[in-house]
Amino acid sequence: MDEKVLTQHFGLEGLYRIEVYRKKGGYKSAEKALKQMTPAAVLDEVKRASLRGRGGAGFPAGVKWGFVPQNVPKPRYLCVNADEGEPGTFKDRYLINHNPHLLLEGTIIASYAVGIHTAFIYVRGEYEAVALRLEGAVAEAYEKGYLGKNILGSGFDLDATVHRGAGGYICGEETALLESLEGKRGYPRLKPPFPASVGLFQCPTVINNVETLSNIPFIIQNGAEWFIKKGLPKDGGTRIFGVSGMVNKPGIYELPLGTNLRTIIFDHAGGMKDGKKLKAVIPGGMSAPILRADEIDLPMDFDSLASAGSMLGSAAVIVIDSETSILDVLKTVAKFYSHESCGQCTPCRIGTAWISKIVERLARGKGERDDIDAIIRLASNIKGKTLCPLGDAAALPILSICQKFRQELEGDLPRA
Amino acid sequence: MSPEYSASLRRKIDEVAARYPKKRAALLPVLHLVQREVGWIAPDEERFVAQVLGLKPIKVREVVTFYTMFLRRPLGKYHLQVCSNLTCSLLGAGPLLNYLQQKLGVGVGETTADGRFTLSTVECLGACEQAPCLMVNFDYHGELDRDKVDRILESLE
Amino acid sequence: MPKIFIDDRGFEVAEGLTVLQAAESVGLQIPHFCYHPAFAPEGSCRMCLVEIEGLPKLELACSALVKEGLKVRTMSPKVVEARKGVLEFLLADHPLDCPICDKAGECKLQDYFEEYGLFRSQFKEAKEKREKKFKLSQNLILDRERCVLCNRCVRFLNVITKTEEAGILNRGTRAEVGIFESELVNNIYSGNLVDICPVGAITNSDFRFQTRVWFLEPSESICPLCSRGCNIYIDSHPGFPRTARARRVYRIRARQNPMVNFHWICDYGRYGYAYLDKGREDRLVWKKGDRETRLSWDKASQILTEKLRSLLELRKHSRIGVVLHTNLTNEELFLADRIFRKGMGVDRLFLADPPPGKGDEFLLTADRTANRRGLQEVGLPVQAPDRRGLSGLDLLLIFGHYLDSETGPADLKDTLDKIETKVLFATHKSSLDSLVDFVIPVPVLAEKSGTLTNVDGRVQTLAAGLAFESDGVPEWRALLDLAKELKVEPEYPWPMTSPASIYRALQEEIAFFK
Repeated sequence: MDEKVLTQHFGLEGLYRIEVYRKKGGYKSAEKALKQMTPAAVLDEVKRASLRGRGGAGFPAGVKWGFVPQNVPKPRYLCVNADEGEPGTFKDRYLINHNPHLLLEGTIIASYAVGIHTAFIYVRGEYEAVALRLEGAVAEAYEKGYLGKNILGSGFDLDATVHRGAGGYICGEETALLESLEGKRGYPRLKPPFPASVGLFQCPTVINNVETLSNIPFIIQNGAEWFIKKGLPKDGGTRIFGVSGMVNKPGIYELPLGTNLRTIIFDHAGGMKDGKKLKAVIPGGMSAPILRADEIDLPMDFDSLASAGSMLGSAAVIVIDSETSILDVLKTVAKFYSHESCGQCTPCRIGTAWISKIVERLARGKGERDDIDAIIRLASNIKGKTLCPLGDAAALPILSICQKFRQELEGDLPRA
Repeated sequence: MSPEYSASLRRKIDEVAARYPKKRAALLPVLHLVQREVGWIAPDEERFVAQVLGLKPIKVREVVTFYTMFLRRPLGKYHLQVCSNLTCSLLGAGPLLNYLQQKLGVGVGETTADGRFTLSTVECLGACEQAPCLMVNFDYHGELDRDKVDRILESLE
Repeated sequence: MPKIFIDDRGFEVAEGLTVLQAAESVGLQIPHFCYHPAFAPEGSCRMCLVEIEGLPKLELACSALVKEGLKVRTMSPKVVEARKGVLEFLLADHPLDCPICDKAGECKLQDYFEEYGLFRSQFKEAKEKREKKFKLSQNLILDRERCVLCNRCVRFLNVITKTEEAGILNRGTRAEVGIFESELVNNIYSGNLVDICPVGAITNSDFRFQTRVWFLEPSESICPLCSRGCNIYIDSHPGFPRTARARRVYRIRARQNPMVNFHWICDYGRYGYAYLDKGREDRLVWKKGDRETRLSWDKASQILTEKLRSLLELRKHSRIGVVLHTNLTNEELFLADRIFRKGMGVDRLFLADPPPGKGDEFLLTADRTANRRGLQEVGLPVQAPDRRGLSGLDLLLIFGHYLDSETGPADLKDTLDKIETKVLFATHKSSLDSLVDFVIPVPVLAEKSGTLTNVDGRVQTLAAGLAFESDGVPEWRALLDLAKELKVEPEYPWPMTSPASIYRALQEEIAFFK
């Protein structure tokens, strides 16, 4: 049960080179899919594996692939979301740096399943080293016939291009990613229509996270049932948890879905650094509502975290110690979303800036008792009312911090 | 007089643009290429890119001003980008930033008089396990303390 | 026709509409900023959020499609709270400019605040300072503090004019409408940006600070400056008679017509309204040598009738000439044909028009007259007013001030001097004033009733919105009066006393107008 899947060969030197990857069984799943399975069979296997998206939203990958219409006379596209901008998240960086061919193999199988012949890998602009490594792997794949025309003699063609972003958290949102890929500002689109029918260049498009696609070769090799056993019945596979903050051993930890959060922090990540005490944990990247120290005994899976009023998100665990001022945390959170708001819709553009200004004023010592209520009211006016999920990503954490740490925030604030 | 752009840049631009079904989609990659060659994106570069991709210059500027990595003014030789996001803040990014300001004698957004260093803050770099982090141009540096920062600065000519 | 329910009231609406469009079609307004019928839904202002039964979150009325049985709530507590939320956000970032803002009185932000807001501001922070007088085009000023980033202006330039001069720069709360360097918005439809801006962010520099909109009275009219016949509003100050003050008309706005000009007019029509007030003929005068006598139309028509009668009795109808123009109404052109050609046997009918310009593929036609098609359908046989055509005349009636050495003979003065009596019916002063014996002011099209036929053959009705404040009468009145006295009035079973009655006759006689 503790066998690593995605990170199993991470210690191996040169794993990013195709000869080393192939020696470890790499590209065998692609070969199996392309030569022994129909696209429909591949799609079915992935659906049954209950692989949920690993980017943050957790939408079942197989279901998403199934939404793409096959009878529309337009090219179909696959976009790999390597924008990894959710604060606290660094797992995709590890995956690509260590094992870029795994991602490519997953890309090939996914494209085959959906009838896609052009894939773009959108890498955030700051990840230059990652992009270079990926470009190297792509070149090797072309050279050895795993990309390009008639892959492995199967008759299936696939072109892949690495595309760099240029600094914009919002481009991790799938429709903003499409806009950015089309050479425009990263403005999320109205949904419906959904990218599966109207996506890149108005054509049917699948967008998947790096970790999601990296799981595909293992699903094809070992089957859906095997994948489910690695996780939970409706939530197959392992997750790569990224732990950072005030812990002794920050880093990535590939563990089964459902692993207890306390276990992750105190066993795997070595517990609190410098003997400090735990105050709070953000369990799924900054957009996940905060948990108090007394709330961390829960299984890390989509449903359990949702029931606890938070979310699994990108499985990025940020550990906050009791010497850290919650006001500073709130300030960093508010400033981030204001800075990253694309500016398209009213509540997010103006609301995140307004909240940020209030928090900055609080941090300068000019706060008043009703400011916390004001922040809560404004965040509630953003929640559920914006064009894209960034609104909620801003509102929900801010609301959770204000509600769970109200006393500390109100502290010595004078009455208005 | 419009500036000359090297033949190799133009060739790279053509190669990149060929990978996209619509020329406009090559805008971000092309801007990266131009910025790497010229250093920053001035109105001349915006016009050049617009002309190459068949766009109106304002559409290029819309993109240049949206994304944080496109520079609209020249920076120092080394762009010191300190992460100011949550994990890095928890692990001392604030004091480290103050130290850099003090040591270099510049504020955030400013360049040292000798043109070597520009100091900026950036959002999460995706290297939180090494917090606090600093990106120098495209190179990541993590697990920083004052000593390590000193050594990094010394190594940059 | 799906049946939907809006606030518990059932309506049958057309297929394929959005909730917002369906509501509008039954007379219900759902507040919005970024939606505009000319563009695809934008969904960014978030003002049109409504409750749809069965859906957990509020939905956008501008993009949700109607379907059978849909139940919408537009005034539930959740919706009201959301609307107030959007207003509060917009107002927090908005300057307190109402006292000096041209848009006051026709501003959506004001209107919605009055209807859905009315709360005290809880914004304690410093407001963002932004550029307030950014030159967007030769005529347009952008106030970035007032801008609500509805993106209508950018979309107009992308989608309608396809000139793409503007864009949104920067990100988040720093986002602003901008142009590239000093490359101003420069197309002949730029004035429409003022019409579509929901607030006072984009204003006309020529209207800036001139008046308050609640002092203006809109009159519906047709733009006469080309053959498109764009529908317009002429906004004038009703208390200011033209003859008492220099200015009566303050601006022209587009009037929606999905069959002619959609929501738009060109800048020639929008900004070219000075002619309505400036340089007008005001006094009806009869010049004899050095003396100028002011007359009433009754007196003048008596004199003219006599002159015409004397020529007609001597069968000298070939010595009567009439110069017409293409800015006359269908009724006037019809009367000119039936009275001069048919009634009096005049065959020397000339045409002098304003010169053509450059047309485009959108609204502006190269032909800069208002009724070319009308002229063609009435079938008036006209010739160029050259030297030969104008020689051997004893009486010349000139309609319009367009006869000059370009449209007519190069030696216009000499040619006219050879004609004994010259009568000018004109709207504006011109060099012709000193070359004629009678100057009779006539109204401009905005001051007349009648119809015009546009380039596509569409007949459009003019209703006199502005008052005609000079001496003189409309041409149709003048023609009927002269014809009655000379007993060459066209006879119909109904009295010919108004443009409407003349149009009935047009319909009787010419198939096109039926």
